[in-house]
Formats: sequence, structure tokens, C-alpha cells
Amino acid sequence: MLSRLSLRSGRSLGLATTVARSFSSSAHTLKSTYDSPDFTKYLNKSKGANPDKTRDYTYLMVGAYGLVSAAAAKSTVDAFLSTMSASNDVLAMAKVEIKLGSIPLGKNVVVKWQGKPVFIRHRTTDEIAEANDVDISTLRDPQKDSDRVIRPEWLIMMGICTHLGCVPIGEAGDFGGWFCPCHGSHYDISGRIRKGPAPLNLEVPHYEFVDEAESVMIG
Amino acid sequence: MFSRFGSAFKNSARSFSTSAKAEISSNTKRVINGAVGVAGLTAAFVLYEDSQTAKAMTAAEHGLHAPEYDWPHKGMFDSYDHASIRRGFQVYREVCSACHSLDRIAWRNLVGVSHTNAEAKAMAEEYEYDDEPDDQGNPRKRPGKLTDYIPGPYANEEAARAANGGALPPDLSLVVKARHGGCDYIFALLTGYPDDPPAGVVLAPGSNYNPYFPGGSIAMARTLFDDIVEYEDGTPASSSQMAKDVVTFLDWCSEPELDDRKKLGAKAIIILTSLYLMAVWTKKFKWAPIKHRKIVFNPPKPPKKN
Amino acid sequence: MSFYHTVFNTVFKRNSVFLTTIFAGAFVFQAVFDEGVNKWWEARNKGKLWKDVKLTIPGAGEEEDDE
Repeated sequence: MLSRLSLRSGRSLGLATTVARSFSSSAHTLKSTYDSPDFTKYLNKSKGANPDKTRDYTYLMVGAYGLVSAAAAKSTVDAFLSTMSASNDVLAMAKVEIKLGSIPLGKNVVVKWQGKPVFIRHRTTDEIAEANDVDISTLRDPQKDSDRVIRPEWLIMMGICTHLGCVPIGEAGDFGGWFCPCHGSHYDISGRIRKGPAPLNLEVPHYEFVDEAESVMIG
Repeated sequence: MFSRFGSAFKNSARSFSTSAKAEISSNTKRVINGAVGVAGLTAAFVLYEDSQTAKAMTAAEHGLHAPEYDWPHKGMFDSYDHASIRRGFQVYREVCSACHSLDRIAWRNLVGVSHTNAEAKAMAEEYEYDDEPDDQGNPRKRPGKLTDYIPGPYANEEAARAANGGALPPDLSLVVKARHGGCDYIFALLTGYPDDPPAGVVLAPGSNYNPYFPGGSIAMARTLFDDIVEYEDGTPASSSQMAKDVVTFLDWCSEPELDDRKKLGAKAIIILTSLYLMAVWTKKFKWAPIKHRKIVFNPPKPPKKN
Repeated sequence: MSFYHTVFNTVFKRNSVFLTTIFAGAFVFQAVFDEGVNKWWEARNKGKLWKDVKLTIPGAGEEEDDE
């Protein structure tokens, strides 16, 4: 179709006035007195008529049409899908900022984040050393203490026993960490499971320190 | 080209109506024409009669129509003046918030619009909010956070009415959308208090005269006087400047999405216009061979008679 | 081989290449277009936007204020 168009455009040059009747080669039609519509508006009027250029231009236009349509369709789909994500007020509530200055050394604090308890412990150097002393190959859920904290003096983790979801008690148990009263799971000073039915270490949420570790943003 | 097609269409239409004419009797046609005529005349008469009486209220009843102001965010592609929003919040905080609440705006909404994170946090911490009860179940208080909503001046509607002689100061979160005339009306109202009510106007005790308020008698007194606030950016705090700023702030409260909406609108206009033009081009291109096509009928020549 | 012929042979000749180019181009176009409209918007509303106002506030330099 494309090549036919450019061929025709070449042939019709200079025939603009009689062009309506020049399409048929039949001498009979040329002589005919029937009315025929004027198609000059549809003719390719490019001068010089480089067929390659014409063909490229055609493909370019159709391609650009598809390109802009694709971009518009993508934006539309994006807009509808984004209505499914959480709204700003929910997202704002999903984070909690806790000032750390009020937590003395060697003390536990329980804060609520998204309705769940989060344990924050300001650990002493002895406790940090104790947590690092453990041979992790003997653990049920082997994890280095350095993988569970960002700053070693601040241990931040979810206060939910990984066994059946009770809230463990702080500064209790055989390993100086946490003890779950429901089924007797013992956690050490890094919140790792040491004894009892729980399968995993206490979960560490995503958090980051802000204002030079003056406070912590959980979430 | 279209004219040719048009004339062809007209021809066929003519021939169609000619055949249809035969089917509708001239009596039926007369009845239809008569019904159309009667209906038209009746409608014209009713409209004319209606136009003879003005049913509009007087200016005193519906309030003076507010003049149209040239807001910085009025144009199709104009954003809010965020410096004005910031000043307007100051006016709200120092003047309006004595009586009016702003229930739907949280401190976090101000961040990135008129205040920095630290400023909004500091303002929120000046207020106390209910915290979760302690281990013994006693209620506790905590300083405000960014996620808290701006507290209102009164605990509930009854307290607000009791403090304002029975009138309830409306919540301002959506007030620009909720009032006919929007920004223009509120600006006119705030700046439109005359020194004395016109002669003959009798006001109930505790109410004030404002020609822009429907009925003219409003419980709110004039509040914006020159220099009652001191702007941190040095803008002279004339009463009209404060009114402009606070109305801009309230408009933002009603329509915080305005900036994004206008930007998206500009994008949509550009994209849809180009899509339309390219669609026209592509249609012409795809139809060209079909439009060119011509069917020629060469009748066979009758056999020559010898 | 003319320029137009080369273009045809590299991009348009195979439909798979043509379509891939269109969809890849859509992503590029969207990024460029968004950036362009943003630039225009910020130039048009210069001085009114928060990022301009922020500069006038003392002590609010490079602070993050997302949300």
C-alpha cells in the first residue's frame, strides 16, 4: 500500500487539475461525462518525491502515534493502580518516632508501632560483649548480633514471640534477655531464640536513626 | 469532495422523502404542524410571562455579590502563592483559630506546602493530645506529632455555641468550597465590615452588619485590623493583605491538590491534542487508498447489426 | 544507501523491532515529557512555589520535607 501511494504521488505530479479523472487508465473513463469526486486533498503533495523519505515519514507518524498512545495508556493505568496504595494519612501513621534520650542505660522500653509492641533496649557494653560472645553455630536460628542492630547500644525488635505471638517479658529467662511466659521460650540479650518452642529470633523491624541518634524512626 | 458527497446524500434524501410523502396523508401533516406551532407559541408565551416578574431576592436578603478578585492561583496554569499560604496560616493561627476549628488539616499537611518538617513538628509539640492510658489505666497526655490534626478551640459544638452567644463558628477546612462565591466571597466578607450599619438597619444584640453576608446580620465581628499580626517576611500586615493571605490559605485547605491538578491538566491537554492530530493524520493515511478507489462500469457494446 | 533507506532497514522493516522501539520510546518519552512540563510549570510559577518560598525561610536550607 505504501509503495503504491508513493508511486501514485509521483505520477500525479503536475496533473492536479485533471487529477480526479486521471486514476483510471481507461480512455473510456477519461472521456466519460460522469461526475467524480475530487480527491486532490488526499494526494501526496510532497515535492521531489523521495519514496524512501515518504515511507519513513509515514512509519514515523504512525509510530509516534503508537508511542504517545502507549505513554498515555501507561499513565492512565498507573493512575488507577495508585488508588489502591495506602493513602497519605495511613502512610503517615505507619511510622513512629521515638526519642531515645529518655531511655537510661540498661533499661527496656516498650513502644507501640502499628498496634504491636516494639522492644527498645539501651544495652550496656557488657551486654554487647555477651551478645557477640555466643557461638552462632550452636543457635537454632543462627544470626550474628551485628546483623540484628544498626548501633550496638540500641537493640530494637518486635515484642512478639515467634512461637505463638505472646509478648515476652524483659530481663528474664535463662539467658538474661527475654522470656515468653506462654510456652517458655528463652531469648538472649540479642533477642535470639535459645531455648523453648519458638523457631525464630525476635523479628527486627525496619528502622533508622534520625537527628544524630537522638531519636529513632520505626517503619 | 465533501460537497460532492453531500450533494449525493441530499439527492438520495430527497428521493426518500418523496416516497415518504406519499405515505403521510396531508391531514396528518397538518395536525403535526399545528401541534408544533401550538407548543412553540405556548412555550414562548410562558417564557415571556415569566420574564415579566423578577423573583430574585433583594441585595439585603441574599447578600451583596462579591467582586471578582485576581487571585494569584486563578489562572488555568497558575499555582498557589505558597508564601501567601504561609502568611495565611499565621493569620489563621493568631486570629481565626480563637473561634474557628480546622478539623481536616493535620500538621503533616503543612510540611512541604508552607512549613518545613522541623517547623511543623515544633508547632505540633506545642499542643497536648490524648495518649494511650498507662499500665494502671489512667489517661495520659503527650505532645502533638505530625500525624495529629490541628486542634480546634472548643471541645464540642455546645461549648462553641455557648462561647459565641448561640452562633456556631463554622469549621474552616472546606469553607471556601462550601460558600457561594468561594475566595471572592470570603475576602469580601472579611474586608467588608462598614464602620456603622446603614440607617434603618436594626441589628439583634451580639450581631454585626456585613452587606456581603446573606441577611446582612452576622454574629462574627470584624477581626482583621491593620497590623494585628506581624509577618516574619516583612510584608505590611494591612487588613486586606491579611484577608488575602488567609483566604489563600483556606483555599489551599479546601483544595490542596490544586497545584498537581493543574499540572496534570496541562499534561493531559498536550497529550490529548497531539493524539487527536496524529489520529486525524493516520486516518487520512489509512483511508487514502479506499477513497481513491473508483469503480468504472464499461457497458458492453451492443452487438453490431450487420 | 540513502539515510532514509538505512532508517527503514534498521527500525521499520521488522515489525518486532518497530514495536519494541515504540514501547521503549514510550518510557523515554514519558520521562522527558514529565520533566519538560515540570520545568515549564516551575518557570511559569516562579517565586510562588514552595521550593522558592523555602529559600526565604531562615534555617530551612537543605532539609528533607517529604510526606
